[in-house]
Amino acid sequence: MAGGSVSECKEYLFKVLVIGELGVGKTSIIKRYVHQLFSQHYRATIGVDFALKVINWDSKTLVRLQLWDIAGQERFGNMTRVYYKEAVGAFVVFDVTRGSTFEAVSKWKHDLDSKVKLANGSPIPAVLLANKCDQKKDGSSNASQMDNFCKETGFLGWFETSAKENINVDEAARFLVENILLNDKGLPYEESNGDRIKLDQETVPAESKSGCC
Amino acid sequence: MAADNLPSEFDVVILGTGLTESVIAAACSRVGQRTLHLDRRNYYAGNWASFTFNGLLSWIEEYKQEAPETAGEEGWKDKLEEGEEALPLSSVDSSISNLEVFSYASEEAEEEEERKAPLTTKAETEDTTDGPAEEPNVVTPDAETPTEERGQDSESPQPNEGGTSEPGQSEEEEKQQQPMSCLPEPPVEVKKKITYAKLLKDGRRFNIDLVSKLMYSRGSLVDLLIKSNVSRYAEFKNITRILTYRDGKVEQVPCSRADVFGSKQLTVVEKRMLMKFLTFCLDYKQHPEEFQDFTQKPFWEFLQTKKLTESLQHFVLHSIAMVSLDTPTEEGLRATQHFLRCLGRYGNTPFLFPLYGLGEIPQCFCRMCAVFGGIYCLRHSVQCLVLDKESGKCKAVIDTHGQRISCSHFVVEDGYIRDEQRKSTDYRQISRAVLITDKSVLQSDSDQQISLVTVPPLDSSAPAVRMVELCSSSMTCMPGTYLVHLTCSSSGSARHDLAPVVSRMFHVPASPGEEPTEGEDRPTLLWAMYFNMRDTSGLDSSSYHLPSNVHVCTGPDSSLGNDYSIKLAEAVFCKLLPDEEFCPPAPNPEDIIYDGEAPQGEGAGFEENSSPEGATEGSETHQAPEEAGEKTDSVPQENEAQNGEDGQTTTPEE
Repeated sequence: MAGGSVSECKEYLFKVLVIGELGVGKTSIIKRYVHQLFSQHYRATIGVDFALKVINWDSKTLVRLQLWDIAGQERFGNMTRVYYKEAVGAFVVFDVTRGSTFEAVSKWKHDLDSKVKLANGSPIPAVLLANKCDQKKDGSSNASQMDNFCKETGFLGWFETSAKENINVDEAARFLVENILLNDKGLPYEESNGDRIKLDQETVPAESKSGCC
Repeated sequence: MAADNLPSEFDVVILGTGLTESVIAAACSRVGQRTLHLDRRNYYAGNWASFTFNGLLSWIEEYKQEAPETAGEEGWKDKLEEGEEALPLSSVDSSISNLEVFSYASEEAEEEEERKAPLTTKAETEDTTDGPAEEPNVVTPDAETPTEERGQDSESPQPNEGGTSEPGQSEEEEKQQQPMSCLPEPPVEVKKKITYAKLLKDGRRFNIDLVSKLMYSRGSLVDLLIKSNVSRYAEFKNITRILTYRDGKVEQVPCSRADVFGSKQLTVVEKRMLMKFLTFCLDYKQHPEEFQDFTQKPFWEFLQTKKLTESLQHFVLHSIAMVSLDTPTEEGLRATQHFLRCLGRYGNTPFLFPLYGLGEIPQCFCRMCAVFGGIYCLRHSVQCLVLDKESGKCKAVIDTHGQRISCSHFVVEDGYIRDEQRKSTDYRQISRAVLITDKSVLQSDSDQQISLVTVPPLDSSAPAVRMVELCSSSMTCMPGTYLVHLTCSSSGSARHDLAPVVSRMFHVPASPGEEPTEGEDRPTLLWAMYFNMRDTSGLDSSSYHLPSNVHVCTGPDSSLGNDYSIKLAEAVFCKLLPDEEFCPPAPNPEDIIYDGEAPQGEGAGFEENSSPEGATEGSETHQAPEEAGEKTDSVPQENEAQNGEDGQTTTPEE
């Protein structure tokens, strides 16, 4: 997405996808991360496209992270290209209390890799989130097995997260952004996007509106 | 991804994901209608789809293998109740015909014959079609990576390792490797031949539209995208120039003020004449005296009285008004005025093109529908409608899995209607050609031009042809190639209508990989496809025997713009929901208040819900609608849309 430099501060806009089975806590993770909130009561995600998190990465780098939720009802897996296109990173989420959601992880990863690629043709960086770890029953997963799984499936790494207890959500996001920045060392956007047109320029979100970290 | 069952009750069921259906779906879902949107294909957008090159080859294979109509009545007999009857839908799509494919690219580095290639890709992709695909076949990453690397080493000067530059990172680099540049001194055979194998390997860089249209910058589609905020899902490029084919040559048409004054081909006198005429056209209605004698006569005759030189008459008639010799004067004036009014909104021509192809636009509306709760299933169709014998209305549908789904309205693309339901089969055809070429029809300083080329009839019996040439920065073709779409109203098969234009304007190799002879400056064809698409835009509700709450979406039509399809979508929506607003703006993501965001919501009561499956009831009662309602209009919609939906933490059918 568009990046540009404003008074020596490099600014990035990254589109990050949050995917996984129904009810694994995708929306909770986004809300915890972006709004520092947790509620048990999210329902199927309606009317929400993406959430924006602004990160002062370091003194010279500002990162705007657009976290794209699956619209609640794309649950049959028929995602539009609109969802995937130009994403530069992804979280694949499963629920540690429901084994079936872990089994679906490789399906989601496969689908992700087939739908979106970096400009150089390699898969976009993806991080696996083992969510609801606060509800984990003892010994349900084993770290070295997870490491192997990540290696086999092409994840950069995995985190045990809990949106409810605010465990590892920021850490996972930081890890993903680090990797996106590594890839980004000059992604296509600045020059080539010059003559791309957004129809409604005035809907570009104003600086002040976005919640700040 | 989970294949759970669909809910059995919706307000609106929509079959087909073309532009019109998708706009209706977004509009319904946006105002809180429970919307189910289906398509029998495994990709979005139906005949409006865009395909990767490999995806297109699969589509071609599917066309060849289309199964005959099946009459599987057994499937629904037991789903009918007393006083109901079934009305079957068609299971096959016959809207595409006369499909022919020609490959001219060199087969080097690929032992197989051209004819085998589609089969190869087909096989390669079969394992991926399992997943929910809207790109029906994506070459698997493992298959692609090694070749990609080899390609970069041997073929392009891209700095590929480490450092600050990644391969393919900037257009500038892409430009460098474009072999067709017309620089006087090409450094040591830079011009690399694009082989068929290369087209396959870089196939994902293509987004090849079945329908070729542009968007008038003040047309109904652009207005709707802006009004609804669906525009946030897409980016566009301006058409950079308008060209025309005249006396065997491709010329640029000066159309904006800047073009006219900057034009080198026009004399000072011509510039003045053209400006004067165009200025008049902008508000021709204020000067009825200028054209009142010609209201019954063709625009062409009117033009001849305006002291325009022959080339200016050509430009105005074919490239600005884009009408034919017999179009009446007022219609020609209206078309000219529309064109001129669209100038300058986004650029120097009146037209926009969506990045990644036109097939992106229906998907943008589908995303909006899904964001507001619409449910999507591809490869999922409707076998028959269930009609209430007494009222004659459609009360439910039976899907291809045998599930009965009730609905108040059913919206369907014409291609799903059986001939028995048609009163008239009086539709037209559109002739289409898709070409992949190695350079632009008119080379210029920049190789990243997007051109509309108007080709007047080659002879009195030939059709006027519209051509759109896309460059790689439109994200529809691989660097080093151009994607060319030709369209006209059919008089015969697509090849019959369009091949004469193709062979005039392009070099057609006699055999794959054959080098053009010295001095050949026309683009060389690498690949070509011809087909006809049914144009049902002349039909309306009186053309079908169908219940009053079944609405047929016709089209795409053969015109350049999208007004027909957008107006139809709005008309259908108004029939469905006369009291609702059509596509009000969706709130910006930042303005949305989440449920439970109010302080009392946070953390309250989750302890009781140790099972994630139990959360739904809670979520309904913990809402604070009066708070949420103030800030954004989205929230009431959410509440309505919520009826019958389930919380994210639950599975649908419990």
